[in-house]
Amino acid sequence: GASGKEGKGWKKFQSYKGEGALPPEVERLRIFVDRKAQTVILPIHGFAVPFHINTIKNASKNDEGDFTYLRINFQTPGQLAGKKEDTPFEDPDATFIRSVSYRSPDGHRLDNIVKQINDLKKEANKREQQKKEMAD
Amino acid sequence: MATQFDNIYHGLSAEIGKFRVAPSGMAWKGVDSEGVTAVPSGDIKWAQWLRVARQFQLRVGLRDHRKEKFDGFAREDHDKLATLLKNNFGITLEAREVAFKGWNWGVTDFQGEELAFTISDRTAFELPLRYVANSNIAGKTEVSLEFANLNPSHAGGSKSKQMGDELTEIRFYVPGTLTKLKGSDAGSQ
Repeated sequence: GASGKEGKGWKKFQSYKGEGALPPEVERLRIFVDRKAQTVILPIHGFAVPFHINTIKNASKNDEGDFTYLRINFQTPGQLAGKKEDTPFEDPDATFIRSVSYRSPDGHRLDNIVKQINDLKKEANKREQQKKEMAD
Repeated sequence: MATQFDNIYHGLSAEIGKFRVAPSGMAWKGVDSEGVTAVPSGDIKWAQWLRVARQFQLRVGLRDHRKEKFDGFAREDHDKLATLLKNNFGITLEAREVAFKGWNWGVTDFQGEELAFTISDRTAFELPLRYVANSNIAGKTEVSLEFANLNPSHAGGSKSKQMGDELTEIRFYVPGTLTKLKGSDAGSQ
C-alpha cells in the first residue's frame, strides 16, 4: 500500500502486514533475525515483537561470567550521531525504544545474532546509498 | 462434559499441558507436574484472544483482578473456544489487536501492574512491573528499566533447560515530557 512513499523526512516501512506472516521460529522465545522481512524479532515477555532493520542502529555483545549479553541500539531522535533525515519520526509525541539488552548462556548463538543484525544493517545501508545515487 | 485442548502453556511456562473447559470452569495441568491450575466459572469476568510468540493466547480476567494466561492455541481454536466461553460462562471472547509493524516508536501506558507499549493503537508488548529491579531517569528524556528474573526459572535449572533469551534492560526515549511514564504516581490518573 503506502510503502515507499516519502513522508515528512522518513520513509514508511513495515515488517509484517499481519500475525500470519510471523516466522514459526518465534515460538522458541529467542531472538530471531528474519532476513526476508529485514526484521529482528525480539521475545518480550511472551510477545514476538518485530523491529524493522530501519529502526536499528547497531548490535553488540559482551561476555560476563556464565552469560553473554546482547545489546541492540535503536534509531531515535535527539541523538548526535546519524543523519536527521534517516530517523524514523512520525509522531513527535511518541515514546521511542532506545535500546534493549538480553542475556543468554549460549554465547555462540548471540555471536551469530549480532553478526546477522549488523550484516542486515550493512545491506540496508548499501541499498539506501544505491537508491540515493540513482536519484542524483 | 469437558472440552480439551492439548499442547497449551500456562503463561510463560516451559512445560506444555492440557487445557480443559467445562461448565464448572477452566483448568490447566502440565504433562510433567502434579498441580492443577483451576479457574472456577464464578471467578471468570472476561476473556481475550491475542497473537503472542507461542501462537495465540487466551487471557482470562478474574474477579479479584488477576489474569490467567494460556498460550499455544491455534488460530483455528478461536471459534470453538468462543462458543465454549459463551455457552459455559456467558462471556464474549474479545479479539485484541497486536502490532507487527516493526516500529520502535509508540505510546507507553500503565495498565494495572503492567507497562504496555502500543503502536498505532495496537499492543506491541507488555512488561510486568513487579520484575523491575531498578529504574533510572537520565537527562529528563531517557528512562531505563532493568529486569531481574523476567523469565521463570525451571525445575532443575540446568542450562539446557534455559527457555528463551532473557530481557535484562530496556531504555525509552521520551522527548519533551515525562508525564506519560509518570502515570503511575499517586494522585495522577
